[in-house]
Amino acid sequence: MVLVIAEQRAGALNRVSWETVAAAQQLAGAAGGMPVTIAVAGGSIRDLAAELASASVASVVAIEHPLLASYTPDGFVQALQELVSRTTPSYVAIPHTYQTRDFAPALASRLARPLITDVIGLASFEGRPAFVRPLFQGRLVADVVPDAAPPCFVTFQVGAFRADDVVRGAAPAPVSTMEVALDASTIRQKPEPPFREAKQAVDLSQAERIVAVGRGIKAPEHLPLVRALADALGAELGASRPICDSGWLPMERQIGSSGQTVAPKLYVAVGLSGAIQHLVGMKASRAIVAINKDPDAPIFEVADYGIVGDLFEVVPALIAELGR
Amino acid sequence: MIETWVFRLLVLASLALFTAQMATRVRLFARAKSNIRLTGPALRLQRVLLEVVCQSKVIAEKPLVGVGHALVFWGFVAFAGFTLVQFLKGLGIADLTGQRWFHLYRLAVLPFALAVLVGMSGLLVRRALVRPEALGRPVSRESLLIGAFIITLMVTFLLDFRLGDSTWSRVNWWVHALVILVFLDLIPDSKHLHLLLSPLTILLESPGLGTVRNLDFEKEEVGLEAVKDIERKQVLDAFTCVECGRCQMNCPAYATGKLLNPKKLILQNEAGLLAGRLDVKLSDLYDAGVLWQCTTCGACESQCPVGIEHLPLIIGARRGLVSNGEAPAYLATVYNNLERRGNIWGLTYDQREKFVASAGLEEFDSSRHEYLVWLGCAGAFEADYQKALRALFEILRRVKVTFGVLARERCTGDIAKRSGNEYLFQELARENIEGLTKAGARKIVTSCPHCLRTLGVDYREFGFDREVLHSSVLVDQLTSSIRGGRAGDVTFHDPCYLGRYAGFTGPPRELLGRFGGNVREPVRTRSNPFCCGAGGGLLFEEHEEGKRISQERLEQLQATGALCVVTACPFCSIMLKGAQASANASTEIVDLMTFVHDQLKTA
Repeated sequence: MVLVIAEQRAGALNRVSWETVAAAQQLAGAAGGMPVTIAVAGGSIRDLAAELASASVASVVAIEHPLLASYTPDGFVQALQELVSRTTPSYVAIPHTYQTRDFAPALASRLARPLITDVIGLASFEGRPAFVRPLFQGRLVADVVPDAAPPCFVTFQVGAFRADDVVRGAAPAPVSTMEVALDASTIRQKPEPPFREAKQAVDLSQAERIVAVGRGIKAPEHLPLVRALADALGAELGASRPICDSGWLPMERQIGSSGQTVAPKLYVAVGLSGAIQHLVGMKASRAIVAINKDPDAPIFEVADYGIVGDLFEVVPALIAELGR
Repeated sequence: MIETWVFRLLVLASLALFTAQMATRVRLFARAKSNIRLTGPALRLQRVLLEVVCQSKVIAEKPLVGVGHALVFWGFVAFAGFTLVQFLKGLGIADLTGQRWFHLYRLAVLPFALAVLVGMSGLLVRRALVRPEALGRPVSRESLLIGAFIITLMVTFLLDFRLGDSTWSRVNWWVHALVILVFLDLIPDSKHLHLLLSPLTILLESPGLGTVRNLDFEKEEVGLEAVKDIERKQVLDAFTCVECGRCQMNCPAYATGKLLNPKKLILQNEAGLLAGRLDVKLSDLYDAGVLWQCTTCGACESQCPVGIEHLPLIIGARRGLVSNGEAPAYLATVYNNLERRGNIWGLTYDQREKFVASAGLEEFDSSRHEYLVWLGCAGAFEADYQKALRALFEILRRVKVTFGVLARERCTGDIAKRSGNEYLFQELARENIEGLTKAGARKIVTSCPHCLRTLGVDYREFGFDREVLHSSVLVDQLTSSIRGGRAGDVTFHDPCYLGRYAGFTGPPRELLGRFGGNVREPVRTRSNPFCCGAGGGLLFEEHEEGKRISQERLEQLQATGALCVVTACPFCSIMLKGAQASANASTEIVDLMTFVHDQLKTA
């Protein structure tokens, strides 16, 4: 059985959990059609369990306990340890979030089982499922096969699997609740109410596609053109510093060393020369498309696809093509 | 007789009060960690002679006020003997007033008295009526009182010539003497302590601007965390500060509406020390965030007339914060980049390799190459600066100078050093020194003033003593016989680390002039330029309080009317271009090497 541990906060599902469900379904298929079970732990999560039951899985387990209402590493490790001991899965799939990074190593070492982190894909090795994970800052990838008694813990990199790929069930999967005995005295952490530092309202780092605009746009009246391209691509709008400095777009849309650092799958740079302070904020993007009049613009140094031309001609043409 | 005894008692009381006040300060100095090094004694004595005796700095930076101060200062010195003789008489020790030489001396100091009156009146008018921002608000009553004292001293001295041997003459004598006794007790707790301390402070000031000694990790040094960590010279600085506000008025952060005021830091040190708040953290002693607003441009330190060193204090306090993990988040990214990738932007070195190959550069070989060209982070990754380097290579090839580059460089560590990550700096420095030494480089040339500083000055602490040149200096020498070009009006932005730190203000202008540029000087130029805002790690700052320093500087440069701004530092170039893009301006910003090369082509 493949056990997925979904992540929630205050009763709201972290959407990356769906990516992990998709990964688990694919893993279960590759491992010869194992059943998949989704577990979720928290204070009051029955609605959430029902939501998760829409996936085509064997069952959903809800672990409810007042001491799990706020995340603590001790509380979660204890509850999840009990869950894993009782359900005896072959694999435990977890999204590679900050919370997972906090508890997963402790959980795996409690049970003396392997933990394969930050997995970006599945492969097979001698008929067994193998897990693909990056090494050396992503310069190499390795196929890793656990060589130990089950279960093997696997964490999946955010964005590596698509939430859309989750196979939904014809009817909701059965939901059960599991009682765990937790003792407050064994939880050493005392959680404070969660707070978020005043951060940008727009979190561009989560965007899959970004259209970024630079000085080449010339005047704020032309912004709707770029916004139309972003809409056509289903992308977020970003900008270089001068655009935000001039107040044409809010500061929270600034990308670069003095703005946000982004790594979307697609980055379209429109009329953006690519000053180094901007490049460092977007260089990790998967595919970079640059549109610029100046063939010597530094942006072409990092672009995968370069269009040398007037953005006022190129962008409308792109929008028209995307609209077909 | 009674009069003598009364005077003796008063002198004793005054001295006792003075000594008590000084003792506190001496104790604070003595308990502080010693950071005093007396390297370069000749230079130090020369400075005392010029800056104290001749008042060169006081006058040079502000001629009118400076001369006023100099008149008062020289008057004080001239009066020393007079006061001594009067006190010896008053105490009943010896009466030398009848001596012939004393009469001559008394006549000789007469013009000094008049000079002090003129100077002091001018300074009082400035303080009380003109009220410059530099002197702070509200007007210091104590300073007004002391100004009045000084005028009284002079007036009573002059009156003595008219009063002869009358009762009024005795009254006059007493007024003069009492003013001196009260003045003495006001000195320690006022800015007038500089009268006594500034010669010592100037003597102990490091020979070079911005000298920030290396931390010794073997001794578990982590930098300045609390008031108790303030080192001896800094304690002396705190008590010497004359509150003239020159540091404040020259600080680019202060000028653009930020909280940082270098004068305030020094005065907060003084207050913290005297209040015995030794365990208070420096970051709590100062206004929030000010330590990270400093670009390390060095204007404060270089302008200080009494030898105060602000940079070791600010950088020392940053070290204290960095060692406790309290650096701003953007610096954490830069440090990470430096640790993992060895460059400030965290890019991979294949880009540098691409540039080295496309520019046709050879790996340095000491048997074939005279110069080693140091590319630096910007040279490896920044497209515009690479253009400037290509220009430099073309110029060097044209004058048939052989050069090569290292196969691998790491950042020299300028940002690490200046932002307080000393450990990282030393790590980078050691690796680079090893690489340069192994390559056998004897003459190193760089186009980056920050690399110039680290390689040429900071690395000396590790015993690295190769000749390091800035490209402007080398190219100026190599092309001294070539002239031409018609660039017309240009303005030059002196990079702080070239003009102020290294003192190279001549060669860039020499080059601009020889290649047809008519240099229109901006305000704040040559050895006292206004920073671009990038130094000290602020290149990476996320949000700048107040007006952007780069914006302010660009406006100053544009005000010259020249449409072409030439500079000689990759960071200045990035900042000014950023400001220009934000302002939607069309001023051309070009590196000096690109400028020279372009003009050479037409010459």
